[in-house]
Amino acid sequence: MSKAGTVLALRVIGLSRQTTLGLLALLAAAAIAYFYGGFSFPLAVLWIFGLGFGFVLQRSRFCFASAFRDLYLLQDGRVIKGIIAGMAVATIGFALVMYKASPDMSKIPGGVTPLGVHTLLGGLLFGLGMVLAGGCASGSLYRMGEGYVGSWLALGGMFLGMFALALNWDWWWTTVINVAPKLWLPKSLGWGAAILLNLLALTLAYLAVLWWESRGGGVYQQTVAEPPFLAFGQRVAALYRAVFTRAWPAVVGGVILGTLNTFEYLFAKPWGITTEVSRWAGWIAYSMGYQAQNLLYFSEKSPGFGLLKHVPWLSDGSLLNWGTIFGAFVAALLAGEFKLRLPGKPVRYGQSLIGGILMGYGSRLAIGCNIGAFFSAIPALALNGWAFALGLALGSYLGVLAIKRLA
Amino acid sequence: MRLDVRGEICPYPMLKTVEALQKLAEGEALEVITDHAPALETIPTQAGRRGYAYDIEKTGQAEWRITIYKE
Repeated sequence: MSKAGTVLALRVIGLSRQTTLGLLALLAAAAIAYFYGGFSFPLAVLWIFGLGFGFVLQRSRFCFASAFRDLYLLQDGRVIKGIIAGMAVATIGFALVMYKASPDMSKIPGGVTPLGVHTLLGGLLFGLGMVLAGGCASGSLYRMGEGYVGSWLALGGMFLGMFALALNWDWWWTTVINVAPKLWLPKSLGWGAAILLNLLALTLAYLAVLWWESRGGGVYQQTVAEPPFLAFGQRVAALYRAVFTRAWPAVVGGVILGTLNTFEYLFAKPWGITTEVSRWAGWIAYSMGYQAQNLLYFSEKSPGFGLLKHVPWLSDGSLLNWGTIFGAFVAALLAGEFKLRLPGKPVRYGQSLIGGILMGYGSRLAIGCNIGAFFSAIPALALNGWAFALGLALGSYLGVLAIKRLA
Repeated sequence: MRLDVRGEICPYPMLKTVEALQKLAEGEALEVITDHAPALETIPTQAGRRGYAYDIEKTGQAEWRITIYKE
């Protein structure tokens, strides 16, 4: 059947325009997986992981920028509770993967990065940037898929910030980062104590959020009560609505993201976004004739992140990021929430761009964003994850002060 | 009273709703028009904390009307 014929057939059976387009997008996603699977199984799998992350982020409105910001602004911890739950699940999952990989702790996982002033400063810049732009690294990707033009602009800002950091990388690396220690909890405490301490800290953080919310006056959420007795067909319809149309609770989203993250670690490596995005920035410079691969940051050997061997349409990180955007696109269409949206006011364009620049510089300074240096680092029992979280909290607070003046 | 916050993303739909609620006359309802789905989580919380009830209605593709009122 031709494409137009398929569209017509779907419309005839009573599906809305967005649902129809959503199903077609899903077919396209499957075709892309099939195409990559033809020559590289891992690339197809990473694409599917990306689709999953994007879908879950969109469905549970999992916005790390709002997680910290709304604690200050609203005393509302909806998303931060989801994040904590996801990190608790991943703490167990990561511990199992890390133990299997290196029971004697001789191999330090990649999420453990040098902990120094750059971790805090990077977190601070990133936190400020994400609140200004109204979206973090993962948030910008999924909002791009939902049709927010401001998030595309934020990505452009990230390119600029990352490229600026790549130009400064030699100095940061030799004076600050390379002399800082890598602190991995199992190495200092042993496996059991490290895992328990991590879980205890997450539990205390969760309780602190509950306390803070109660002081703010409770949390009101729309609940949809389905009648208790439904025929099978009605129950399937109710399930469809719960999965594809209504927003998921953030804790559900967080637990699924933490699980997906563990699965991805099992298959390849923990979830990360910005290392690859910084390579896109390098590729843009390279395609404009600048020999970016000669910068230390883009050199193939550590402390470089490589450039020329990571082609944007043939590298696992790229497939993961593209998949995240596309998964959110599919989810938004199926929920009837896709719309091309221009920022509401001129000042918002500036906020997206400057926020993006700060996120770009901050994420590469800290060697990771809200995902790699936080959501994947804390479960890796890396102390730098907790330091980055502190930076995020401080930076978000500055961001709240700034956006209140930009209303 | 009607508040159109289409094009605005978090936290502005919620901040502007709270501002509007402070100006709302006794017995009057506030209609917020938004195209930002996350506002469907944040606005109800703030309305609820201030003692208001609310209804959410989908009025188009990615567009919602939240009616906030005193019961």
